[in-house]
Amino acid sequence: MGGISFLPDEMPFYLTDGGVLRTMRISRTWSIIMYLPFLICFVLFLIVPLVYGIWISLHSWSVFGGNGGFVGLDNYIAILTPGNIYSTSFYLGLKNTLVFVAISVIPLVVISLALALLVDAIPKKLKVYFRTIFFISYAVSVTAVSAIFKWLFTGNGGYVNNVMNSIGLSPINWLNEQPYAWVSILVATIWWTIGFNMILFINALDEVDETMYEASSLDGANWWEKFAYITFPSIKGVFVFLTIISVIASFNLYGQTLLITAGGPAQSTQSLIMVIQQMVFTQNNLGIGSAMAIVMGLVMMAIVAAQYFYSFRKE
Amino acid sequence: MKKSKTKTALIVIAASIIAFLFLLPLIFMIFTSFKALGEAMSSSALLPKAWTSENYGSIFGIGAEVPVIRWLFNTGLVTIAGTALVVFVDVLAAYSLARLNLPGKKFFLSVVVAALTVPGIVTLFPAFYLFRQYELIDTYAPLVLIYSANTMGVFLIYSFLRGFPKDLEEAAFIDGASLLQILRFVIFPAIRPVVATLSVLTFLTIYNDFLWPSIVTSSDEMKTVTVGVANLVQGANFVNPGRMMAATVVATMPALIIFVVANKYFVRSVVSSGIK
Amino acid sequence: MKSKMLLSVLLIVAMILSACGGGGSGSSGETADGKIVIKYINGFTGGDGEYMKKITDGFNESQDQYVVEESQEKDHYTKFKTGSYDLVLIHSDNLQTYRQDNMIQDMGSVLEAAGISPDDFHPVAKEQVTFEGATFAAPLDIHPMTMFYNKQLAPEAPMTYEAMTDLTNTLQEQDSNLYATGIPSGGLPEWFYMTIAAQNNINLVEGNHLNFAQDEFADALMIYHDMIYKDNISPAGLGLDGEFQAFMKQVDEGGSSVQTATALTGPWYYQAVKEAYGDDLGIASAPQLGDQPGVYGGGHTLALPASVQDEEKKAGIAEFLKYMYTPENLLNWADSGQAPTHLATIELVEQDAEKYPLAAQNVQQFDSFVGAPQLYQYREQVRYMTESVFPQLVGDEGMTKDKLMSELQKATDQAAQVAETAPQ
Repeated sequence: MGGISFLPDEMPFYLTDGGVLRTMRISRTWSIIMYLPFLICFVLFLIVPLVYGIWISLHSWSVFGGNGGFVGLDNYIAILTPGNIYSTSFYLGLKNTLVFVAISVIPLVVISLALALLVDAIPKKLKVYFRTIFFISYAVSVTAVSAIFKWLFTGNGGYVNNVMNSIGLSPINWLNEQPYAWVSILVATIWWTIGFNMILFINALDEVDETMYEASSLDGANWWEKFAYITFPSIKGVFVFLTIISVIASFNLYGQTLLITAGGPAQSTQSLIMVIQQMVFTQNNLGIGSAMAIVMGLVMMAIVAAQYFYSFRKE
Repeated sequence: MKKSKTKTALIVIAASIIAFLFLLPLIFMIFTSFKALGEAMSSSALLPKAWTSENYGSIFGIGAEVPVIRWLFNTGLVTIAGTALVVFVDVLAAYSLARLNLPGKKFFLSVVVAALTVPGIVTLFPAFYLFRQYELIDTYAPLVLIYSANTMGVFLIYSFLRGFPKDLEEAAFIDGASLLQILRFVIFPAIRPVVATLSVLTFLTIYNDFLWPSIVTSSDEMKTVTVGVANLVQGANFVNPGRMMAATVVATMPALIIFVVANKYFVRSVVSSGIK
Repeated sequence: MKSKMLLSVLLIVAMILSACGGGGSGSSGETADGKIVIKYINGFTGGDGEYMKKITDGFNESQDQYVVEESQEKDHYTKFKTGSYDLVLIHSDNLQTYRQDNMIQDMGSVLEAAGISPDDFHPVAKEQVTFEGATFAAPLDIHPMTMFYNKQLAPEAPMTYEAMTDLTNTLQEQDSNLYATGIPSGGLPEWFYMTIAAQNNINLVEGNHLNFAQDEFADALMIYHDMIYKDNISPAGLGLDGEFQAFMKQVDEGGSSVQTATALTGPWYYQAVKEAYGDDLGIASAPQLGDQPGVYGGGHTLALPASVQDEEKKAGIAEFLKYMYTPENLLNWADSGQAPTHLATIELVEQDAEKYPLAAQNVQQFDSFVGAPQLYQYREQVRYMTESVFPQLVGDEGMTKDKLMSELQKATDQAAQVAETAPQ
């Protein structure tokens, strides 16, 4: 923090020239003008769709037919009460998405941390090259990633199976059998996004106080002790942040399952967003689709909030 | 000393192996794009037995079936326009919130923070429906505008400005500088790192978005790279993997080159994003 | 910084301008020289697009009153739903849905004005477009399941189950990675199970929905399980589009990939298989695996959007259809490999089978063709069957008829519920 302001924080500093009212008025007009573009965008593209989505979810609403009448909470009851097509597909999508969140978040965070620690230990001259290589896959869009991995993991004579065959392993039907289909999607996702997480970890590691390592070396601490007592506490904030970000990203699973496995085998990788997308675009049912999206949003918010409060209570 | 040298060597070797595995999918993509139909379908060797450039001919040739260049143009336009819009709107709003005399400031601030927690999926389909009602589907409008409600950017810059001393602005004001001059000569230089972070994050978000552009575009000419490539992977279009990979290479290369060239810049801005 | 701001403003302006430019899709109706515009949309973005374009271009040249603006879009249904068009291509299995959702209208009067009678088409195509006695579309083509075979592995097309077994046994002696054909778990399952239903004379329709939970259907389906796990006719574990991909493979010594001598698949792969096999490629009808001949597939039809009310426009559409359904013009469509259902055109195709190998082969399948039943949201009704039941049937070695029956019951329940969502 630099100099000391002699005014209370909330007071506009344009009053410092003697509190001329005119200046203040200009300031107020300008404040509104400057805030207005954002406000317009915010209202048009967030508030309006949000409120409209809630409104739609309380109606029977077709993409072409439009509003088919108020139905109250019927759409929500339909997707939450087991035993009909809507709830069947909703629960299937939710279950599959939760499976992916469960299997992906830990690898996404832990492997990127391990990679960051590895890169951090590389001599400075070489470091930048490795950092670039590990970060580069983030420049590939999700659909290109899916194209590549779909072909790599093809069961019948794909590249991965060919390599496995040549080292004496029997081929695996990666994309058409569980749990291999999840493994394929997980590998593709890790390859795609891990660089971003790694960069944030590298940054956090750079900021760890060097003198603390030196002190601990004198105390004879081993690598693990240094990590557990110095490194990890210093980067914990980033760790929590990345865990939350990864949960949100994994919840939004769509492109990989759509393109690599097409929701298969036997709909086991059909993610919730795929289900909602089908509801809206092939069944034209915007009412049910909106209700599903809102419930999905609430589930995400609940999980993220739980994570947030859990990691802060422990402090 | 000697021990630590071997240790370093081991680390570099391990990192090199991992780096090779990381690059393998990209190498595979490039080599497959030079295989002819028969070989691309049946052989799973990394290197092509017979190199061919016919897959690229089908992209760049006359009457090309796959308008990758057009998709690249769309992606470029949409990401740049979207990022510029977000930065423009967010910087002004954040400054207004942090420094100026905005009525209802506290209310707006809490709305911004509350909006941060709304998952995108909730607003996606209603937004699509609204754009459809105004016959804006398959134009650039929905592709760009949807990202402008970026509360994270406002929050990032606002937090930064709150921690930034006011002295310079006050001094400038006393010297008779106008608000626009203060913005240009005092504020912009100061918040440059946060703006860079915001730009990079927004750029990556828009560049990588798939679901939204896939629902608001329907003609081939309006597709972004992500959506266009998706079409090549799906269903009956997945006929020729060599051609698919060639399109993927063309679709991916510009971004890869930008990443490698601007790597330092990217890293620094992701790094300085102020996430503690 | 100034330039940066300026750039932002410019970009935003440019963006808004381009948005306005692209957004004005209101149908103007007339061109500058007073011609009435007919906006025609279809999904022919593959190799067949250019042949359709030949027909529209030919029409436009022959005309001074009307002009057809053809759009070929991959997601043409979405585009159709969000824009305004005068003529739309609809797959025959979608007709009932679009009719009940009031997206298309009775086009009997337009066809009459064009001098086209439903009897000008093959009975199976006529049946597809007739709803409660009214004609809702003009049939264009039918694409039945087609067999491609690799003459080097199968000198003759295997047309029966026994021939398949013999072929696979011969091939297995050469190399254990060679099979007679491939059953996929994704992509075309619908074609496989609907074909076997047709070949066993099973009626899957019950009222307004599909009823898969029938004893005979379960028995019939088990043939695909047997083909994989009992008689080794197909390799196990072929995935999405596996029937095509396995056909395109080349087995190599000691490799792990499998190759098939035949592919039971859609005719749209013709260009690719032709490119790969050249003169070694054979084309045949789908084999008869059940009690009687029968084959399933899709079909294209041209429908009149419900929004078209203007009589002048309708007259223009009639004029265009009249031109298109002139056999010499429709032959262009056969040239793309599609099999037209227009009887007079079929005759020309059969006379010149050398020039239209694929179309000539496929028109022979029309007599035994069984199309999709006319049901609301048919594609949603079959979803669970296609995405879940069939993959289990071909992927689970331990599948039994009892297990299959309980899954078929689930598929039926879903189909019945989908049918219930129909507008009243």
